[in-house]
Amino acid sequence: MKTPLEILKEKKDAAEKHLKEQGYFSKKRVYVGMATCEIAAGSKEVMEEFENAKRSGLDIYLSQKGCAGRCHVEPTVEVIDPEKGSVLYTQVDPKKAKEIIQKHIIGGEPLAEGEK
Amino acid sequence: MSEKKLHNRSFEVFGKSKFFASQLRIALRNCGYIDPENLDDYLNVRGFEALAKVLTGMKSEDVIAEIKKAGLRGRGGAGFGSGLKWELVAREKSDQKYVICNADEGDPGAFMDRSIIEGDPFTVLEGMAIAGYAVGSDKGIVYIRAEYPLAITRLEKAIDAARKANLLGNNILGSKFSFDIEIRLGAGAFVCGEETALMQSIEGHRGMPRPRPPYPSASGLFCKPTLINNVETWANVPVIIVEGSQWFASVGTEKSKGTKVFALAGKITNTGLVEVPMGTTLRHVIFDIGGGIPKGKNLKAVQTGGPSGGCIPVELIDTPIDYDSLAKVGSIMGSGGMIVIDEDSCMVNIAKYFLEFTQSESCGKCTPCREGTKRMLEILTRITEGQGKEGDIEKLERLGNTIKKASLCGLGQSAPNPVLSTIRYFRNEYEDHIKNKKCTAGACSKMIRFEINDKCIGCGACYETCKFDAIEMI
Ligand SMILES: Cc1cc2nc3c(=O)[nH]c(=O)nc-3n(C[C@H](O)[C@H](O)[C@H](O)COP(=O)(O)O)c2cc1C
Repeated sequence: MKTPLEILKEKKDAAEKHLKEQGYFSKKRVYVGMATCEIAAGSKEVMEEFENAKRSGLDIYLSQKGCAGRCHVEPTVEVIDPEKGSVLYTQVDPKKAKEIIQKHIIGGEPLAEGEK
Repeated sequence: MSEKKLHNRSFEVFGKSKFFASQLRIALRNCGYIDPENLDDYLNVRGFEALAKVLTGMKSEDVIAEIKKAGLRGRGGAGFGSGLKWELVAREKSDQKYVICNADEGDPGAFMDRSIIEGDPFTVLEGMAIAGYAVGSDKGIVYIRAEYPLAITRLEKAIDAARKANLLGNNILGSKFSFDIEIRLGAGAFVCGEETALMQSIEGHRGMPRPRPPYPSASGLFCKPTLINNVETWANVPVIIVEGSQWFASVGTEKSKGTKVFALAGKITNTGLVEVPMGTTLRHVIFDIGGGIPKGKNLKAVQTGGPSGGCIPVELIDTPIDYDSLAKVGSIMGSGGMIVIDEDSCMVNIAKYFLEFTQSESCGKCTPCREGTKRMLEILTRITEGQGKEGDIEKLERLGNTIKKASLCGLGQSAPNPVLSTIRYFRNEYEDHIKNKKCTAGACSKMIRFEINDKCIGCGACYETCKFDAIEMI
């Protein structure tokens, strides 16, 4: 009989495979803060911006995330490049989201951000 | 399985900016790092490994011993030893036992628990299931306030997903252990966060506390042995099991282990959620992580513990944050509210604000709390309106100490804290209000008077702009 740890390992492998199929490990991953606080700061519009871009063919892994605690700079967005690491964007609005898509995701040049 | 540690993993994404650098993330480890609605994401960060480990090779005593050795104490307010509480419930013999997650989060300005549930709901479920196994319960309940709709939705989705994956329900992961979790909504009364009132509320009664003993561990929900812990307490459990009690106990101070999450608010540059090791000083949290006081103002005090806590003056800013040190200076750890107060705030007014809250949330069952807080508030209101009398301070102290001793539950027992601690450290401000009818901070609006002094040349600017025609031309 399989132990609970072995059964969990199977589930974990399946999860990893599933994530892989969606491009989790290969594509640029975009995380938009979607907790109550982030939504209140306007993150739904930002999410829509990325969703629209994805629908029109932008090849990214798009995900929501909870609140990392940086209330003073919300809404926040992270772009994680499997090779180049992550860039944190703060106080993102739809206009800034468009810029992130154009310059960073498509152009490969992250926008300049001060340390927050 | 991947051997990456659970804690601090999110810093791979967040980097080490000043805000994050000295934080240590255990309870918040996945918040802002994974998709809270995706079980795959949680599994990918070693989710449910703690539960599987427990079910594979640990006896219920082993689990309790681990929690005890870790030195975990409740994060919901009182700081009671969690391992001991689990043990008490485990020892009871009963056909039914309950495990409850207290997600009532009633402190004004606190949002730690909401963020944990919204950012990482699975960890709470996993923690509860582990406890269910340890104490011999098959039924968990999350009591959460209805004002947290998004958190409720995420919890529901997480429970659904976990059930489908056989991580909740019957024979979890092929073992003999069964455990399921339900959600119960509260109407957002502060007193319903108190454990006995909370259980009354779940049972369908009016949320009012009852005397203890019997403690919930012996007779709780529906008179059955019940284990109740706070959201943040639950979020620590999987990490203790996976990374070991020894590691967990190496973080923090001698008597306060691990980390604590704080909701940093008030006159502070970086408002937000921070999780720091116990023993970190208030100064470090406020100036290094919080970025100090905006507009070049000076720090005057820090209020910890919400309406049940106290104000700590700037002179004691090097106090380490742990249960005992905070209690020593007249405040409490509480559930993690931290409100920063600058020189523009009036301490009498702040004490009044908190007492207004507890007074209106008092359930009215016991007289000391019901009547006492009302009388205290009347006196405070008088003082802030310039009608304070000689002897008011002493009366507040006497009343406060009586209410603390005689009240039925923690609400009344702690309600006078904001007043008593401000009297202790800022007595001169109270005296100023009473004797000189003066509010130096200029916050008590009924006490402010304006005078035109000798420098007036009669330019008429105030006459032109006064909205109330208070300047007359004669
Ligand atoms: C007035 C009052 C309000 C409380 N509110 C909460 C709350 O919102 N959340 C919470 O976890 N504990 C709250 N508590 C503490 C609970 O009674 C209980 O001690 C706690 O849930 C135990 O969990 P812990 O050991 O994990 O801290 C409150 C206590 C009092 C007296």
